[in-house]
Amino acid sequence: METAIHITGAGVVSAIGCGQGETLDALRRGLSGIGPVRYLRTSETLFPAGEVKLSNAELAALSGASPDLSRTSLMGILALREALEEAGLSSLEGIPLVSGTTVGGMDLTEQTFPAYSPLHDCGASTEAIAAHFGGAPWATTLSTACSSAANAVIFGANLIRSGQAEMVAVGGSESLSDFHLHGFGSLMILDTAPCRPFDATRAGLNLGEGAAFLILESGESLRRRGVKPLARLAGFGNACDAFHQTASSENGEGAFLAMQKALRMAGLRPEDIDYVNAHGTGTPNNDASESAALRRIFGEIIPPVSSTKAFTGHTTSASGTIESVFCLLALQQGFIPANLNWQEPDSSCIVPSAGGAASLQHILCNAFGFGGNDSSLLFSR
Amino acid sequence: MMRKVYLHARCELHSGDPEPDYRSLFSVLEARRMGRLLKRAVWTSTQALQQAGIGVPDAVIIGTDFGCIENSESFLKALKGIDDAPLRPTHFMQSTHNTISSLIAIRLGAHGYNATYSHRGRSFESALQDAWTQIALGDIDNALVGWFDEMTPLLSDSLVRQGIEPKEHALAVVLSANPEGAVSELTPSDF
Repeated sequence: METAIHITGAGVVSAIGCGQGETLDALRRGLSGIGPVRYLRTSETLFPAGEVKLSNAELAALSGASPDLSRTSLMGILALREALEEAGLSSLEGIPLVSGTTVGGMDLTEQTFPAYSPLHDCGASTEAIAAHFGGAPWATTLSTACSSAANAVIFGANLIRSGQAEMVAVGGSESLSDFHLHGFGSLMILDTAPCRPFDATRAGLNLGEGAAFLILESGESLRRRGVKPLARLAGFGNACDAFHQTASSENGEGAFLAMQKALRMAGLRPEDIDYVNAHGTGTPNNDASESAALRRIFGEIIPPVSSTKAFTGHTTSASGTIESVFCLLALQQGFIPANLNWQEPDSSCIVPSAGGAASLQHILCNAFGFGGNDSSLLFSR
Repeated sequence: MMRKVYLHARCELHSGDPEPDYRSLFSVLEARRMGRLLKRAVWTSTQALQQAGIGVPDAVIIGTDFGCIENSESFLKALKGIDDAPLRPTHFMQSTHNTISSLIAIRLGAHGYNATYSHRGRSFESALQDAWTQIALGDIDNALVGWFDEMTPLLSDSLVRQGIEPKEHALAVVLSANPEGAVSELTPSDF
């Protein structure tokens, strides 16, 4: 990429912890945050989930925000605060906010429906996050299902490349809702046991929730402010599988194109990639399709690949940046997060990494969504 | 060096307009499965691309404030026991906002960049900005950009009570770096 995109701050909230410290500890120790549903109001108790272990009141107390906000906004505020602080910033003054969500404030809507008032659409949850930090010059919301946050990173990076912004706050936030727990249930892609990405016995995904934000910054702004970057966004790719509204193609065309674009943009060869954080949801279809795409990109020599979904559950719209923060931690700390719960190889899947210490220079991070909205981000040290 | 971006085609259906003849686009079975918004989205997109003489666009970028809200409501009604109907996966699938852009991509075989913006008051503007940015950067040469929204009585009443004008949208435009045959130039003041 001709213009370097630096990452100067990161913040994360998920089932394995609040903040980079707790997250790193859980990733290193292999501690999953998936368990029986405790916080979400739902009649559906069959499926375990990766809930953030804080009630809305606790989230509000931690962030100083109103407990009446949607859980999506509350988690987003916590994650964005950490990212801003790390970047040495205290507000969004002069910094556009690009967030990704699909559920938005559905956790509130589903309680009042058929009344809609007040509206809790996707954009409203982003505006509530912006308002908490004194307002952004402008904000917008990507809604491409499970790749929403990854696409927010891409749009934010393009704003910097084109000179429309010097700093952008990008990320995503998604709370669990009774609506999409039942929705994924109706599609019969939820597992009643903890998910097992790439395992022969995998039987579906576990839903999760959380938020993560990154501060993207141009080189000029970085030098002017005298801050040190955590890593670089060296490339990215967004492609469409254009196959089915919810299923992935057998040859993983969308995933293949997204990774290929990211590599080309970064000017890297497949063998330069030291680790791939897979989308790896644990559904039979996704993991086989993603494996096909990985085999097409990397051929015989596939770098270590792991899915962190067995730690957090599938955090849907937020997964793109939650897992980006995992990748940044992996780059900085020199380790590969384990692919938990994997035991039995499947000929249609790659063999995932058991994790451990590793010197990492370049990482690919995949996030794929319903409708074939496939994106891949490439982070470099 | 940033390139200039041009508007090449525009196709819009207003709320009161009669539904076009969809028979050339959908089989009876397909049409039955698709809500009015999806049908309008595919129709306007197809028309705009034809006008622009583009078969498969480099990008499909959609703005929608509420997505296929009719499907979301159907699923919510079943979930809350308001309707006696079972939870239908189709309603859930078509409740995600990107179902519109993905359906268009599937029908066109468009494997390029694909995104959906949902930010009331800025949904379409964001889609235009995204397309403008990528064409200006030279990442893509053209893009189909759409703005699609439907209203339901419940949503419409709620918006009116909050002093917001309920509006439906079915607008598709084609942007391109090619100045030949352009209608006008698109600049950042347009979004």
